This record gives sequence, structure tokens and C-alpha cells, in this order.
Amino acid sequence: MALPIRYHWRNLLVRRTTSALTILVVTAVVGTLTWILGFFLALQSSLSVAGDAHKLLIIQRGTTSETNSAISPEEFNRLAQLAGVARDPESGEPLISPELYWQTQLPRLRDGGATRANVALRGVTLRAFEVHRNIRLLGERFSVGEPQVIVGRAAAAQFAGLAVGDVIRIGVGESREFRVVGHFDAGGGPMESEIWMYLPAMQSAYLRNGYSSVSVRLEDPASAPAAIEQVRSAPIELSAEREADYWRNQTSNVRFYQAVCFVLVAIMSLAAAFALANTMYASVAGRAREIAMLRTIGYRPHHILLGFVMESVLLSLIGGLLGCVACAAYLELVGSTKDMFGSSTFTTMAFDIRLTPLLVGWSLASVAVIGVIGALPPAWRAARTHVLTALREP
Amino acid sequence: MDLLQTLLLRNLGRNPRRSALTVAAVAMPVVILVLSFTIVAQLNRFLDDSAAQLRLAVAHKTSIINPLPYGHKARIAALDPSKRDIIAVVGIAWIGGVLANDREPLTTMGVDADEFPIAFTDHLLTQAERDAWQRDRRALIVGRSTAAKMGWKVGDRVTIRASVPPYSEFSFNVISTAPQAIDPVANWCHLSYIFEERARSGLPESSVDLVSFLFVKCAGRAALERYRVEIDRLFENTPDETQTQDEKAFLNQFISQQFDLPTNLTLLALITIAVAVLAAANTMNMSFRDRIGETATLRALGFSARFGALLSLTESVLLCGIGGALGVLAPLLAFGYTPIGDVQIPLIVRLEIGPGVCAAALAMALAIGVIAGAWPALQGGRLRVIDALRSLE
Repeated sequence: MALPIRYHWRNLLVRRTTSALTILVVTAVVGTLTWILGFFLALQSSLSVAGDAHKLLIIQRGTTSETNSAISPEEFNRLAQLAGVARDPESGEPLISPELYWQTQLPRLRDGGATRANVALRGVTLRAFEVHRNIRLLGERFSVGEPQVIVGRAAAAQFAGLAVGDVIRIGVGESREFRVVGHFDAGGGPMESEIWMYLPAMQSAYLRNGYSSVSVRLEDPASAPAAIEQVRSAPIELSAEREADYWRNQTSNVRFYQAVCFVLVAIMSLAAAFALANTMYASVAGRAREIAMLRTIGYRPHHILLGFVMESVLLSLIGGLLGCVACAAYLELVGSTKDMFGSSTFTTMAFDIRLTPLLVGWSLASVAVIGVIGALPPAWRAARTHVLTALREP
Repeated sequence: MDLLQTLLLRNLGRNPRRSALTVAAVAMPVVILVLSFTIVAQLNRFLDDSAAQLRLAVAHKTSIINPLPYGHKARIAALDPSKRDIIAVVGIAWIGGVLANDREPLTTMGVDADEFPIAFTDHLLTQAERDAWQRDRRALIVGRSTAAKMGWKVGDRVTIRASVPPYSEFSFNVISTAPQAIDPVANWCHLSYIFEERARSGLPESSVDLVSFLFVKCAGRAALERYRVEIDRLFENTPDETQTQDEKAFLNQFISQQFDLPTNLTLLALITIAVAVLAAANTMNMSFRDRIGETATLRALGFSARFGALLSLTESVLLCGIGGALGVLAPLLAFGYTPIGDVQIPLIVRLEIGPGVCAAALAMALAIGVIAGAWPALQGGRLRVIDALRSLE
């Protein structure tokens, strides 16, 4: 029979100051960990949405993103030969979407418009809605005859002047006025940070006759390697990538920062483990007689070991919960909306850090691990307490 | 004072595990302090070095990827015909670039060959280099960290495929690896070569004479401020309005838009300090409680309350000082003498831990010691000797 939880709880209360200080150490560490984890989970989930295995993104050879890619109508026409492309069930047309990609600066809402973000503009034909299956309209679609745009949900939430009915100025010299007629959802993916409009209208606004990129829907994801190879070689001679790979490259810089932050948080967690160990050692030393007593009334060494580990985990979980609360408070106060540059698109991806159950679960799990690591050496020592010697001590 | 010393050393040594754990719990946060201070300081130094160049960056107002007409150069230069305030205007065309069988993107830019050495004084340091640059239309200055990564050296011939239309292959002769350049990554070539290539490949005429930005070298701070406003005013209400910033603000937007490392690291450092304070305070608090009887005895023997306070304060400062020293030493050794030091960091390239940062981190560690020791010191002063002695029984 294990030691009752209430015993450990009371023990924590007896050493009030020490317990409180230890909990605060853990709180600070977990608060930071949760925020960093939240940032990258948000980024990750946004990118994983973009990982539609059926989709290929085709850009010009030698380019790193849609931003500096240009595809001529002739090159686009050559893509008609591409094998393995899915077809529209009614018309039998291949699901190939030519797209024009540009950007405009819009004020951020988060700081009252003090800074501006580069927001992506995408000109598409109606075919795009069959290629990009995760796009869900939350209202009207742009008309092909009027100067109208639809706006991704994340963009509308974070940048100014994108409410339905607002007018944005785009095109060469910002000379054209387009009205926002609806918003759309992309399941949280990066396209939710974009503004979409009818391709010919955008081409005329920017005096272009070609495209930036082409998105293709494959019949079978397994044919992707063959399709990529076909796009690369003559006569097409362009560059194709799976959607997931493309977006992973866009965040390569952030991945580096992610690594830096995780190393720093790991060092911090180690410090927390040391602080916990210190507390637990003191607790063990102060309770030698008590432990001996427990042994005398029949508790086995492994009960004692488990008991002290439990106590430490209890301590760190309280700290962990407080840390999550602190992180939630910080997000509430400072704001949870974030955006970042694609490393070669130069457009802004907007996302929202949320305290999801998954995130809280991860944080608490890692803090429990810290608790166990910090407690094991002192708990081991407690389990080996020599009963007679300890009882004899004053 | 001798007694103080003896007691101090005995106190530190009698619970070696606790002392060691405390030192470790302080050392870890100090490691973080040193690393984050260094990264922030180096990023700032990079920006300040750029700011010290007294250059304005002129970009398209709509977006940095919108190109500007090359004609803007002459119109900006005409703002100051005497060339007293505006020393040089350099057109810059970004072509990025990749090697034939490599995905790694390069940063290659075409610049006005005549004005570049005037405006970018951190490049082309010798007369021989300047001559080679002027003589060869295909000259390429390679950033030193790029050169190291690619294994390029002066005299090499390299072929780079541009990442922007017309996506042609450019063949360059490496004439310098820019040993003193502030930006260790960027490669520079002749703008005229890019314009020619664009024209040759049949791009429409309107797409030939375009630049990504213009950099304006000014004579002093006052000129910088004045033309920052005047250049934008010059192009107001034209199809290609401009946004002019000093170079620091221009570069900073890239840093703050990616992860805002400086702000986030500073925040992390602050939280870290809090962690160290709490951990050390916890130790001092535990030690104080363990030694209540002793403290009371000392007082009963006639030692002042100040003596007790001094004792716990010096112990705390000493522990944190040792932790601080270890925390400073660990990254110094790791980045100075192990392969960790070769890790490349964007913009900073190589982490160099300076004496200033070390001193700051050490001072911080001592301050942590003072704060952590203050509470037990205060409590010791308020100790009621009789009660404490009585509770011993």
C-alpha cells in the first residue's frame, strides 16, 4: 500500500516557504516553456495544414519561393502534358491552377498600425477552389467581373482595412480599388494570411501577363516523385515541390531560433531540477526519523522512494499549472497574435498562439519529468535510510 | 573578521551537496544570461555598425519586393548637386541566386560599380581589389562566411543562377572575400552586368532598368535625417512612391519580423534571473532554518545581529559568485575551444562572448546573491533569541 497523497500534501504545507519558492522556480520555467512551445505548435499546425499530399507547387527553376518566381503562359501550357493530374469529375478538365503572387503593405492591428506587414495577394481562377480543397468560403466569393477580393481569416483578424465592405488599393502605383466581399477559412493554414482575387483582374492591375506559380492536384499522392521528375526535365523544365516541403523551407530560419530557444529552456529546466533536488534533499534530511518510523510500521523502501518522487511531482505540477496560468495571462495582456516572414517569400504569415489542451498537456508532462529527475537522487537516499540509526537520532 | 571567515567556510562546506546544487542552479541561468546577452549585443552591434555607415535605404513604398525605376537614382542625386550632403547613390538589384546543383539560396546583389566603393567603405580595402573590381565586368565580391561555406577563394570562377527573371546563369570571377565587411553573407556584382543580361534575354524593356533598392550615402547625421524625409517627398504622388529608412531601421524590420529574437531573448533573460534568485533564496532560507539554533547561540554569546546578517549575506553572495563564475566560464570554453563554436548563427555568424557581457553576467550573479541572502539576513536580525533557544529542546 502506497503512502496516502494527503501525507505528502501536508508535508509540503509544513515547509511553506521552501515549497512556495520551489513552486515559483518551476512556474517561471514552465511559463516560458509553454510560450515557446505554443509559438512553435501554432506555426507547426499552420504548416501541417498546408501539407496536402495531393498538391504540388510548381515554380520557376532556381527560385526559392512564389515571390520571385515567374512562369510564362508558354511554360504554363507545357504543363498540360503532366501525367497523373486529377480531373474535374464533370468537365474532365485537369485540376491545374495558375496563380499570380504579389504583396502589399498593410498596417498591423496589434500595435494600432505603428508597423506594417507584407500581406500576400494571390490571383486565382475559379479552378483554384478545386485544387486547394481546404479553402472554405465564409461569405461571398469574388466576382469575375467586378474588382473584388476575398480575405483569409487570419489576415482579416490581424491587419487593418480588411473587413467585408472595406476597399483596398492595389496594383501598380496602388491605382486600383478592390472591395472586400468575403472572408475565407483555410483550416488554419498559411493561405489564411492571404488576400485572393480573380487572376485576370490582378494581372491587369499589375500589368502582367504571366503567372508566379502553378498548383496542381494529383490523382494519387504516390505519383508525386514521378510528377516532380517530369516537371524538372525537358520539355517542361520547371521546379515542383510537395506543398509541405515548400512551407518547411519558408520557416527554416525560424527553426534555427526554435533550436536556440529550446536549448536555453532545457538549461533552465535543468536549473529547476537542481532547485527541486535541493528542496527534496533538505526535506529528506529533516525527516529521517519520520521515514524510519514509516519503515517500522511496514512501509517498504520502494514506497518511500515513490512517495518522495510523488511529493516532488506534486510540487512541480502545482508550479506547472501556475506556469500555464502565467502564460495565459501573458498572452491575454500582451496579445497572442503573432506573424512572421517566410524566409524567401517575404510575406507575412499570421497565426495565433493558443493554450490548447495539447499544449498544456505537453507542458505538464515535461514539468513532471523535471520533477522526477529532481526527486530521484534524494528519494533514493530516503529509501535507503537506516532505520535503527535514524530512530536513535535525537 | 577571522571568525566570520571560518564560519563562512564551514557553513559552505558542511552541506556540500546543497552548496553544489545551489551553485549549479545559479550557474545554469547565468549560462543563459551570457548567451542571450551575447546574441542581443551582437545583433545590436551589427545594426549599429550598419547605422554608422550613414546610409539611407530607399525601397518601394508598397512592398520591398516591388522594384524601383533606376531613374530614381539620378533624381535623388539631383537633390544635392553639390554632392556635399549626398555623397553617393547606389542602385542595388537583388538576384538572390543558387548554384547549379545546390538548393542553398545565396544573397547576391548587383550594385553601381563606381559608387559602391564610396558608399560601402567596408569593402574593397586595397587598391588592387578596387582595380580588379573596376576592370572586370564580371567581378564578384563574396561575403566571407559565404566564401568559407562554399570553399570559394579569390581567383575562382563561379556560376550562379539568378532567382529572379530572367533566371539566367551569371558567371563571375571572385575578386575579394570581403574580410572586413559588416555583412558577412552578401555577394556583390556589377549592376550593369545584370541589366545587360536582362536586355539580352529578351525581357520587356520596362523590366530591364529596375533596382530593388537604392542606398544613399550621406555626409552626416543631419543630412541623413533631412533626406530621409525629402526623398519620400520627392516621389510623393508618383506611381513609384518610396519608403526611406536609415539602414538600421531597414535591416531591423527583417530581424523583428522573423522571430524578434532580441525582444524574446531579453525577456527570457529576465525570467532566468528570477529563477536564479528564487533558487538561491530557497537554499539560503533552508540553511537559515537549519541553523536557527546556531544563530541564537551566537547572539547569546554576544555577537551582534549584524554579524549574523553579514554571515548569511556573504554566504549567499559567495555561492552565487561561484555559480556565476562557472556559468560564465562554461559558454566561454564551449564556444572558444569546442566545435560548438562553429555553429553559424544568421546575421551574427559566429558567437563571440565579450568581456563586457561576462562582467555584466557576473555582476548579475552577485546581485542575485545579495537579493537571495537579504531575506534570511533580515530574519536573523529579527530573531528572538530566547524563543529560538527554547525551541531547540
